[in-house]
Amino acid sequence: MEKKIFSKRNITLFFLILAIILILPLFVHGYLLRMLALIFMWIGLTACWNIIAGYTGYIDFGSVGYFGIGSYVTAILMTKAKMAFLPSLVFSGIISASFAIPIGIPTLRLRGAYFGIATLAFAEAMKQVVLELDRVAHINFFGGSHGITLPIGPGNEFFYYVMFTLMFMVMAVTLWIERSRFGYSLKAIHEAENTAELVGVNTLFAKTTAYTISAFFLGMFGATEAYWVTYITPNDVFNIHVTIQMVIMTLLGGMGTVMGPIVGGSFLTIISEILWARFIYTYMILLGIIILIVIIFMPKGIVGTIRGLVIKKKVT
Amino acid sequence: MAFLEAKKVSKFFGALAAVSEIDFTLEKGEILGMIGPNGSGKTTLFNVIVGVYPPDRGKILFSGKDISGKKPHKICHLGITKTSQIVQPFTSMTVLENVMIGGMFGKGLTLSKAKEKAKEFIDFVGLFKYLDEPSGKITVASRRRLELARALATEPEIILLDENMAGLTPWEIDEVLELLRKVNKDMGITLFVVEHVMRAVMGISERIIVLNYGEKIAEGSPEEVAKDPAVIEAYLGEKYA
Repeated sequence: MEKKIFSKRNITLFFLILAIILILPLFVHGYLLRMLALIFMWIGLTACWNIIAGYTGYIDFGSVGYFGIGSYVTAILMTKAKMAFLPSLVFSGIISASFAIPIGIPTLRLRGAYFGIATLAFAEAMKQVVLELDRVAHINFFGGSHGITLPIGPGNEFFYYVMFTLMFMVMAVTLWIERSRFGYSLKAIHEAENTAELVGVNTLFAKTTAYTISAFFLGMFGATEAYWVTYITPNDVFNIHVTIQMVIMTLLGGMGTVMGPIVGGSFLTIISEILWARFIYTYMILLGIIILIVIIFMPKGIVGTIRGLVIKKKVT
Repeated sequence: MAFLEAKKVSKFFGALAAVSEIDFTLEKGEILGMIGPNGSGKTTLFNVIVGVYPPDRGKILFSGKDISGKKPHKICHLGITKTSQIVQPFTSMTVLENVMIGGMFGKGLTLSKAKEKAKEFIDFVGLFKYLDEPSGKITVASRRRLELARALATEPEIILLDENMAGLTPWEIDEVLELLRKVNKDMGITLFVVEHVMRAVMGISERIIVLNYGEKIAEGSPEEVAKDPAVIEAYLGEKYA
């Protein structure tokens, strides 16, 4: 079955949506624009997690580690080296990715829960290093628990565009993976890693590549977030909740699909914002109930369930 | 010089020698059979050859070059692949995609070229009607053929078949045997076959080696092996030897 995603209708629709997103800041300001930028960020982060966990099946609990590395690289470059934001952003991505290679090679040999535990340990260890290194080594570099204050950035419009561009790039990479030779190797690893190795897939190389791509973008999102909120501490940017949010959003949307992160990321960001504004005290409970309902009744995620219904309709 | 040669290969799991000091040679173009009771080390020997486990002692030579300790994907690129005893298709992928993986990564073809080639191999094993079927939905007999097609797609020089006929009906076995003869004669691929179905392994192999408790206890033509007292003892007990 050939999936025609580059049909004339889809391309027109794509450019229409792109045009709307690009001119939207002319009409929308303040809170709503900030909200949209936040949605873009979460879609992007979720898509990063989806590249490694959704396609290869390696459930990563340390993704926030790369987000945090990116945040700190940009914070340090902008405050200590007085570098501009955009070059710092690129450095954040590169340095995050260069951490991913030595971390990925040993941990990606572990399977199942062991990989999850190892990556979780990596992220927590990074947090402790950033938190304690200054005190232990008597230097003033990471700022310990006081964190780092960045220069005040431009307005929401700027971050709206940066977040959108990053999200757009991650989605483009995901779409490429979905249809490429490389993507097939990741899916083969997900299904039956030993067999994949027997028929010639260099599994360690493929996994490490996916992991590094994921880390590269996570680092850049971390960098942008740092500049956006202008003040970072280890507890904020290495917070395990960031990883868990990516996990939940991917599960809600659908693992290993292109649309999954878009649906899951925007759904959960919007729902939690609405609930938070209306039910200040009970919103966490309500959010938990909604997540439970989706996971119980739609185990394949929103995208997977809808796809299943469409196929059923075609058959009958 | 033998095509594939094992020199005193041993593999230990803890203190247990799963494979102990085994020598064998495989000549280009032949069909070599391997039999032995359950737990005699057949599958372990296969796994050592393709690199799933490195041998603890000894060497494996392919066309004179030492390949022991190389990773399975490297050994696949050199021209040796294996089908598994427990069929492991990539279940969410279609039959076509499964075979494409072999071509793309075993042979290094591009996606479109691999697709073209995969169709030929699927047609060869007789699964063309299931081309776009998810591989998780076809019967076990078809999945065994799919394993063969995927192995062929890597365009190997040697295929190790680990009980490729387990669970098939006699009629299905005859069909697979016919297929394997074609693979051997027409495609010129050397085969190394582990099989419990005696009729199958005796019928197809020119030469057979027999393993028991990780050691090679006999080697020869099917007739010689069947008469060997050591083999009869291993299978039926001392009383019948």
